[in-house]
Amino acid sequence: MGEKRLLVKGSPPAPLDRELTVVGMPLNRRDGLEKVTGQAKYSSDLHMPGMLHGKILRCPHLRARITRIDASRAEILPGVRAVLTKENTKGWRTYWYEIPQIALPECLTYEGQEVAVVAAEDVDTAQRALDLIEIEYETLEPMIDMEEVLKNPPPPCVADEEYPGRDLFDRKPFILRRGDVEKGFGEADLTLEETYTTPTQYHASIQTRACVANWDGQNLIVWDSTQGVWNSKGSLAKSFGLDPDQVRVIVEHLGGGFGSKAWAHRISFFAAKLSMATKRPVKMEQSREEEFLNHPHRYNSKITLRMGAKKDGTLTATYEKVFLNIGAAANRHNYNANGIIWQTSNLYACPNVHLEQIGVFTNLQLTGPTRSPFNMPAIFPLECHMDKMAGALGLDPLEFRLKNYSTYASTHVKAELREKEMKISYSSKKLDECMKKVTEAIGWERRKALSCFCQGPKRKGIGMAAFIAHQGGGIFPNTAHADVSIHPDGSINLYIGVVDIGGGQKTILAMIAAEELGVALDDITLISGDTEGTRYAPSCHSSRCTAEMGPPILQAAAQARQKLFEIAARFLHVTAEELASKNGEIYVRSNPGVSMPVRTICSNIDPDNPIWGSGSREINPEDPIFSSFGAQAVELEVDVETGGIKILRVTAAQDFGKAINPKLCLSQIVGGIVEFGVGFALTEEGIYDAKTGKMLNPNLHQYRLPTSLDVPHVDAFLVESQEPHFAFSARGGAELTNTPTPAAIRNALYNAIGIWLNDLPLTSEKILTALRAKHEER
Amino acid sequence: MAKRRLGLIVNGRQREAEIDVRLTLAEFLREVLGLTGTKVGCNRGECGSCTVVMDGKAVYSCSIPAVEAAGKTVLTIEGLAEKGGKLHPIQEAFLNEDALQCGFCTPGMIMSAKALLDSNPTPTETEIKTAVGGNLCRCGCFQNIVKAVSVASGKMAAREGSSDG
Repeated sequence: MGEKRLLVKGSPPAPLDRELTVVGMPLNRRDGLEKVTGQAKYSSDLHMPGMLHGKILRCPHLRARITRIDASRAEILPGVRAVLTKENTKGWRTYWYEIPQIALPECLTYEGQEVAVVAAEDVDTAQRALDLIEIEYETLEPMIDMEEVLKNPPPPCVADEEYPGRDLFDRKPFILRRGDVEKGFGEADLTLEETYTTPTQYHASIQTRACVANWDGQNLIVWDSTQGVWNSKGSLAKSFGLDPDQVRVIVEHLGGGFGSKAWAHRISFFAAKLSMATKRPVKMEQSREEEFLNHPHRYNSKITLRMGAKKDGTLTATYEKVFLNIGAAANRHNYNANGIIWQTSNLYACPNVHLEQIGVFTNLQLTGPTRSPFNMPAIFPLECHMDKMAGALGLDPLEFRLKNYSTYASTHVKAELREKEMKISYSSKKLDECMKKVTEAIGWERRKALSCFCQGPKRKGIGMAAFIAHQGGGIFPNTAHADVSIHPDGSINLYIGVVDIGGGQKTILAMIAAEELGVALDDITLISGDTEGTRYAPSCHSSRCTAEMGPPILQAAAQARQKLFEIAARFLHVTAEELASKNGEIYVRSNPGVSMPVRTICSNIDPDNPIWGSGSREINPEDPIFSSFGAQAVELEVDVETGGIKILRVTAAQDFGKAINPKLCLSQIVGGIVEFGVGFALTEEGIYDAKTGKMLNPNLHQYRLPTSLDVPHVDAFLVESQEPHFAFSARGGAELTNTPTPAAIRNALYNAIGIWLNDLPLTSEKILTALRAKHEER
Repeated sequence: MAKRRLGLIVNGRQREAEIDVRLTLAEFLREVLGLTGTKVGCNRGECGSCTVVMDGKAVYSCSIPAVEAAGKTVLTIEGLAEKGGKLHPIQEAFLNEDALQCGFCTPGMIMSAKALLDSNPTPTETEIKTAVGGNLCRCGCFQNIVKAVSVASGKMAAREGSSDG
């Protein structure tokens, strides 16, 4: 195992050898006041003088070619200032998710793809202009069903020339192997095979995408709704051939993202182009329907899993075949070729595995990061199968999991090391503690008795599931920076180019700086969500923000503090090395009674030369790897007459290292479970017309998110561990909290009614059909 | 396009404007009065982020023509804090109980809670859940929202009690 040191470039600061006074405190989020008073400004709230409004004409077909487009009637409509079509934007590419893609192509590959864009004096005129654009399509047979596409691959059409991610168009599987899987099945006393399916899932952020772009002839400013201002800046610069210094991206507040806004999104490019064409600021805001159609949803999957085990429960072999619907756009940045079989390879110890994953390009909309993108389709089949295996072996599901507990990883997370079998340590793994904690908290011992519970039409059950997830950064582009300045008036600024997406980044990242400086959180002024005044910072996705920004923030703060100590040393008559700081005081370590307020020392800073501290993140080492773990248990009630499930309670334990702010960390856990977890399990799925592939439920009425009346009570626990590589031991973890929820619900459902269901969502219709079939069997 | 004169009370202040009759109440509040605290998440009465209190009732302002609010009294998130900026107990409880994450649904959520507590000062947990049942929160803050409304209810009752005595 490599040296356990803070992941920063250069020499890491020594750990604070004192009690913590800010980190670990359940403080209120810093932007809460603006949010509860309605003062928080989101990009959709902005209005600028002379601002135009942009609207998009979208393709109604899944696969089509434009045979004629005539925008002349739209162009002469009074109030219209610019119309963009393929005719006047030839060669222009956007870089949505870093994918070079013809902005307005002739061949369209998904429903909702842009075919024309209009800027007008008001929304109404822009909308009317869209109706005046004459367009004719030649429609092509859409690719919808994954297996059908693989069996009969349609010949590439012209569209495929520009098909995003066509480098992955070979439709070949990625394979992970170790041991001898045939021999492993030969040694097994029990072999079980099942096929599981998971649906598409949509982010449904309550704020739809919106932005205002302003090109002044020299510089482009975009007030955006992206999760990463630096990512967006880079992509916009590339799209317009600008120097990155000419592009500034600002996000003051963001109304949800969950991965959907991880990179520059398509309207930002169009708004910028329209502003360049009109020399005026242009605002674009997506409707809820557009948010569904033009949207990178979660891949749907079909997964076959076969496992073999000895009578005592020891796993001998695992075979898995994964089909993943990549939809109409993806590349290596948002499609990870082994993002599902990696989890299967590592969660449990199994000597013989053969795991295959194949991503299939279809015309079923865009796909991309969605709160724990691969982890949910990975863990659902695996944790369902573990329960079925345990049942068939007559073992307790918890004991069966602990029997096959793995203390090390067999497949590395780094792409270039993945195909090799290895034995590599985790920086920490307390999954066993998590499993014990959640089962104890739910009352696992009641499980057997509950399977006989019968009160009128009500049945009850308990189930569990565990997970491994590799989130938390150290991924492309493998860098992150932070800066701290201290001024004579006592003000302390923290400059970080990150966006608070609701996870509390403005609060927890400032807490890291405050702790390291030895001051209160309120003493830190934050400059964030803006590419001006900050250096490159990651987008807040993949739970990477705390894990990637923590170390450089700590380094920058420590460096600034050291410079402050050098001034203080003159007044306290000791060397800077003998000083420490806490609660706004700088004191002599060996004699804490000798101290001076930080503010007083600051007054001696040269006004022309304020103190600066800088920090930069080092990339993750090869050894150990930093994965996050957790387990959940669910108690539910099923009505066998209606098929309705009521989830009574969820217990959740997560091993994320340590929480900088437990209050906000617990909110992340609960939030992930009740929305993306319960929703994926019970109600959420994109529904598409079987023939045309068009989405039938692109609204919040028919695409059903859990409401206040559906969500269960969650008891969440933090199982903490030491992580010297990260700032105050904080690894990433927020996005993955929903990962095991659907499997735990499905396993509890079995405990209640004795039926295994393998297809999400677990609708009342599926439950009733299964109950009827079981009844007829008897 | 047809225009009409509209008069109503918003956050305690009489407002008059000549408006396009097609404007929704949400558009009137946001675009004419500049009160952008009221959010629009779907513009078809599904998400609840546009909720305001009109004549004592929580309503979806995206689904009400502004002209229908003529002569009525509307309260938005901007009008909730007391003069001098002191937070309303509901706002304070949302902040302390961490009943928000991204904050986009928060104004609508708080206005639904306000209408509930005005008509039912001591609601049960089920009554609170029902009152915000039409307000979606994709960050999943419901557990803390229910707690916050309950804390605010207790605080308002105590305040009521002390002013009576």
